Amino acid sequence: MAEITSIAEYAMDELKKAGAQKAACTVSQSKTDELNIEAGKFSLMRTLFSDNLHMKALVDGKKGTISVNKLDKASINEAVADTIALAKSGTADAAEDIAPLAENKQFDQTIGGANMDKLFSRTKDFVDQTTDEFPKIILGECSSQFSNTNFVHVNSNGVNFSNSLEYYHMSSMFSAKDGTESTSFYGYGTIMNSLNTPFIDVGLQRTLLEEAVNSIKTRMVEGKFVGKVIVTPTCADMLWGTVMGCFLSEYSLISGTSRWKDSLGEKVADKQLTFSAIAHNPDIVLGEKITGDGFESQNFDFIKDGILQSYGLSLYGANKTGKPRSLNSSGSWAIAPGETSLADMIKSVDKGIIIGRFSGASPGPSGDVSGVAKNSFLIENGKVTDALGETMISFNVFDVIQEIVAISKERVVDGYSLMPWCCVDGVTVSGK
Amino acid sequence: MLQDFLTPQKSNFKDYTELRAHVNTTRNVAMVAGNMVNNAQSAIGGVSARVYKGGTFGFASGAEYSADSVKNVLAAATDNALFMDKRVNKGNPPLPSLGNHAEKLRTAPGPAIEQSLMIDFTKSLDEYIVNKYKNLSSRTVSTGCLDIEKLLVVSDGTNNHLFQPRATAFVQMTADTPDGVPVSLYEVVSRFGRFDEIFTDPAKLHSLLDSLYESLMKKREGVFANAGLKKCVMHPKLAGMLAHEAVGHTVEADIVLGGSVAADNLNKQVASELVTMVDFAHTALGETCPLPVYVDDEGVLAEDAMLIENGILKGFMHSRDTARHFNAKPQGNARAFAFSDEPLIRMRNTAILPGKSKLDDMIKSIDDGYYLVSTGNGQADTTGEFMFSIEEGYEIKNGKLGAAIRETTISGVAFEMLKTVDMLSDDMHWECGGFCGKKQPMTVGMGGPAIRCDVNIGGR
Repeated sequence: MAEITSIAEYAMDELKKAGAQKAACTVSQSKTDELNIEAGKFSLMRTLFSDNLHMKALVDGKKGTISVNKLDKASINEAVADTIALAKSGTADAAEDIAPLAENKQFDQTIGGANMDKLFSRTKDFVDQTTDEFPKIILGECSSQFSNTNFVHVNSNGVNFSNSLEYYHMSSMFSAKDGTESTSFYGYGTIMNSLNTPFIDVGLQRTLLEEAVNSIKTRMVEGKFVGKVIVTPTCADMLWGTVMGCFLSEYSLISGTSRWKDSLGEKVADKQLTFSAIAHNPDIVLGEKITGDGFESQNFDFIKDGILQSYGLSLYGANKTGKPRSLNSSGSWAIAPGETSLADMIKSVDKGIIIGRFSGASPGPSGDVSGVAKNSFLIENGKVTDALGETMISFNVFDVIQEIVAISKERVVDGYSLMPWCCVDGVTVSGK
Repeated sequence: MLQDFLTPQKSNFKDYTELRAHVNTTRNVAMVAGNMVNNAQSAIGGVSARVYKGGTFGFASGAEYSADSVKNVLAAATDNALFMDKRVNKGNPPLPSLGNHAEKLRTAPGPAIEQSLMIDFTKSLDEYIVNKYKNLSSRTVSTGCLDIEKLLVVSDGTNNHLFQPRATAFVQMTADTPDGVPVSLYEVVSRFGRFDEIFTDPAKLHSLLDSLYESLMKKREGVFANAGLKKCVMHPKLAGMLAHEAVGHTVEADIVLGGSVAADNLNKQVASELVTMVDFAHTALGETCPLPVYVDDEGVLAEDAMLIENGILKGFMHSRDTARHFNAKPQGNARAFAFSDEPLIRMRNTAILPGKSKLDDMIKSIDDGYYLVSTGNGQADTTGEFMFSIEEGYEIKNGKLGAAIRETTISGVAFEMLKTVDMLSDDMHWECGGFCGKKQPMTVGMGGPAIRCDVNIGGR
């Protein structure tokens, strides 16, 4: 850590000497060991040694940013000169700034280093258990890894944060096949701070393997209907990623295309909805400690009880739009649990679907969502019936979150986020 | 230009080994609603080694590139290969030999371009838009370039030195519908080459911007598509996406081994007899492809891969390892995006070949359907079910173009949908903007003619 701190401070000094009135530097070094599986068999072990230096300089209100992965003095000096040249070639913008001095801190999120033998045996056990318990499952690309990173952020206001972090990660892609019939691919990923739990028992892994086997034979929706859709935690991004991209993101606010650009403090969704970005929570494995622009991260709500509380804005975005800066820049999102059990939620649906994965277009600023419902099942008269094939859905996210049917009591913990099941209405479901 | 610290290590190779020095350099400028939100450069590079032993690979990479770091990375990759071989013990023989060759550098890196050139170009387009179009609620203009340089030394195969530059300009316009809902359209122009060679004058893009604005004004008055299976004409701009997403991914051999529907369809009729589809290496129909690949990152000399010939599925795309598994010839599809990436099976320039029809006649032939003009993202599945977005499209009523449609999505099962293809236009359009995503991003080319077929369209 001391070495990269001195590298960051050296780069900072050089930026100031070269003419930066304000500057920020982030230096990181990491090592990742990864085991790879293809078609159910070990295929590769890789080790990645990574160095990164990111610099931002402001010269007369003009910004230049540069990223390189060489940390020797000659490379840093060259990168400093390039950063200043970039800034001078840019356009002055009063919104550009760096974080003010606050209490400097050193964080430690390490977990005692890698145990590669145990990582190998956990991974092998996952392959063996899956093969034994689910013979119709075909494992595609899977990987497990351990990563260690040391990170320093300094700026010319005196900000100096550092963090050491370690984690295990496992991801799997798979499908089920019986004869010539096969399912869509399923994917699942978890981040962990120990290897205490067999991979097959982490989060929704086993549930998804079971669902894949149960969805080999599919049924097509005849014609189309407008009904309810239960969005599972593995598909949550279809709703909340769209909300973020279309209405809350820095791009949507600066471009002026957000339909919520003037809605701070106003009701934008059903009162059941509380949507948060979480930096600190025992169920989040690598909570963000420092924002991308050099502030200590804190939890905050985008939406509380249906009322818009905050956007996803960096310091620049906040200065540009005159709206509050968001208190963390993590993608660790939580939806507050509701009061309905998943079982009761399913019972309440006369005709609809439960969707496990969405393959769709990147929504435009209107919030119109359209795509294919993958890994999904039909719900008829309160019961989950057949797996669906070739089924499309379309809806407008701005509209459907105004009246959310229900949010489940249960939430899934996968280390990244805390997501319940969510039922929305008014979705067009269509087959051929 | 990359110095060669690799060749001296070749005498230390014990098993099949690749050593690759690799640097990706980017420059980006972006203006959102007149604000320059991005003015950035990056240069991310280093060296990697991959060693094959007994049926598994060991891989390692490091950012430092020197004679010493190459030795260290080679040692780490060898250790990883031994770690895996000891525990997995597949006992496979070495990969089949391809002999030893060397490929010369075909496109030399020139001096770095000035960022001010890209800034001025971006500003000029932004000013043109602001001054000319009065009904926009927002606009985004960005320019970028990605230069990839690789030096490859392999124990068996073809050594290579590659420089692959790509330049891109992106414009998005947003306008409000009469009831105040924002809708957007965008255009990407991307070419193989340096930014200063491709984008010599912003005025050359003005007619493209005029067309984009005109289309957006129609889209803001647009209607929702009527969901269901429809007879459609896809503009040539969509054909490449169809080739890439609908078929291409399903015939990558690693996806085939992972359960792709293509596994059961080799040498069977999977498309109309009109359809021939090829993953071109570097030259197609007498011209250089958008992203030419002469040697892949396993040292395989690249050649065209025939995927579908007159409707029959003829083959898969391979790495050296999967080629041995399927008893096929590797054709140069194993590519890595960054220095820290191992080669994966990737498409290069995937295209459906043109037919004999005229686009106007194809539109006239439809009584009730859609003309689908531009797309954004797309995805594929092991089942062959594909989806891609439709950013611009129009109703066809009684052989004539009607109202524009709001953005939607089309989907289908590739080997069913391709059997409905009954007309292909006699022209060809190539695209090479964006990235294909499959563990790593990758630059790819894709192309084809206008296509008449039945496809499932999302809507209301």
